[in-house]
Amino acid sequence: MKRKLLAALAGVALSLSAVLPVQAQDALARVMEAGVLKVGTETAFAPFDFVDAGTHTGLNVDVFDEIGKDMGVKIEWITLDWTGVLPGLEAGRFDMVAGPATITAERMKRYRFSSPIAEATVALLVGANSDIAKPEDISGKPVGAGTGTAQLAQLKAFSESLDTPASEIREYVSFNEAYADLAAGRIEAVANSLPNIAFVASQRPEVFKVVTPAFGTPTYFGYPGRIEDEYASLMDKIDEILLKMRADGRMEKLQQKWFGTTFDMPEKVTEPAI
Amino acid sequence: MTWTLFELLLQASLMTILVSAVSILAGLAIAIVLSAMRMSGNAALKGFAVVFISFFRGVPLLVQLLLIFNLLPSLGITLPSLATALIGLSLCTAAYQAENLRGGFEGVAPGLIESAEMAGFTRAQSFFWIRTPIALRMTFPALVNEAILILKASSLVSVVGLIELTKMAQNLAASTYQPLPIFASAGLIYLAINVVVAFLGRRAERALPGLPSA
Repeated sequence: MKRKLLAALAGVALSLSAVLPVQAQDALARVMEAGVLKVGTETAFAPFDFVDAGTHTGLNVDVFDEIGKDMGVKIEWITLDWTGVLPGLEAGRFDMVAGPATITAERMKRYRFSSPIAEATVALLVGANSDIAKPEDISGKPVGAGTGTAQLAQLKAFSESLDTPASEIREYVSFNEAYADLAAGRIEAVANSLPNIAFVASQRPEVFKVVTPAFGTPTYFGYPGRIEDEYASLMDKIDEILLKMRADGRMEKLQQKWFGTTFDMPEKVTEPAI
Repeated sequence: MTWTLFELLLQASLMTILVSAVSILAGLAIAIVLSAMRMSGNAALKGFAVVFISFFRGVPLLVQLLLIFNLLPSLGITLPSLATALIGLSLCTAAYQAENLRGGFEGVAPGLIESAEMAGFTRAQSFFWIRTPIALRMTFPALVNEAILILKASSLVSVVGLIELTKMAQNLAASTYQPLPIFASAGLIYLAINVVVAFLGRRAERALPGLPSA
């Protein structure tokens, strides 16, 4: 009985692997034909994607509105929990992700990233009355970041480089829990990308403030897409539009609107610093 | 914590109630069929039920939802978010409910089944008209319990793109940076729904006919 079951399972696995490599149609042609670009994202990543009074809003919504206008297609948002976003991309549930994610060498092996849309360099968020004035002041203090993030890795590296490292580096399911712990006084600082924490501080200035300068290696946020050949045309098109938006000032205006500042970014990240 | 935020949570809780209610009822129907298969003399039917129950009880619901949403499209079956959530939750609760029901079916007095046969009931008639009602009546408290568990487990469906109560709370907490009042409110709403479910369950239990003694 058990052996039969194993054989059946092996059979299912084999037939699955035989069916998996389908869809060789060019992604750009498919999107243009359908008149719809499907974009997957999660909505708990302010100011890129968040829910304001029940409506999905943020920099990504504005940027993709422009992309949709330039391509002449409708944008269809699929909002999922982050756990489901990258699996959904790989399963072809949507054409690309509006994440965005920090562009790293490791991730570039698996995804094709768009041209950068914001700086992702890591800085510190601290309590409004904190005596941490520069990044080195986290010496001997408890700090935190989201688990498995590129920001956490940088925080760890920075802490080790100090004479006295941070007393503890706590890892959180998401940055929102880390901010809550910072507000509650259980940690002294949260390390996250500058655009995110600048937005947090602007929303609750009585609780939080940002410590500048940023301490991390310069990194950038990009939109992850599929790395397969049939997606190259689509991702090229997205890059073309993003660069056009930079040239005609639309990107600058949107960055100003959502981050309160603009960034110097390379046109394409080919060799990420991390 | 403003009234607008609370209203958004209430709206999202309708999705929680919808997916849970549909799944519990669909799951109950599937569970009855599974129980019949489990108790059947046919080895293939019985084997299917056993494998089905061990799979859907043994694999975490989160993983099941991700598989239905992201693996089936490669087989040419692309289900929308709501269908994925309803199917995932229904199949999962069906597996648990089938095991609850099995206890009920095994508790039906053999004398009753024999009497039914004497009275000319076929096996199928005796299953649906004698054994199933008694098994349902005996396992009713377990059904209410399962309903409450599914209501809370429904928070996982956000992974396939539905905004229910927990996800809405996370979204609002992430955009307002006031996690405490928002999660406290979400907790209160879950509690309120479950208190009502438990209350209705007790009322229904009293209204149902008692068990035959045999």
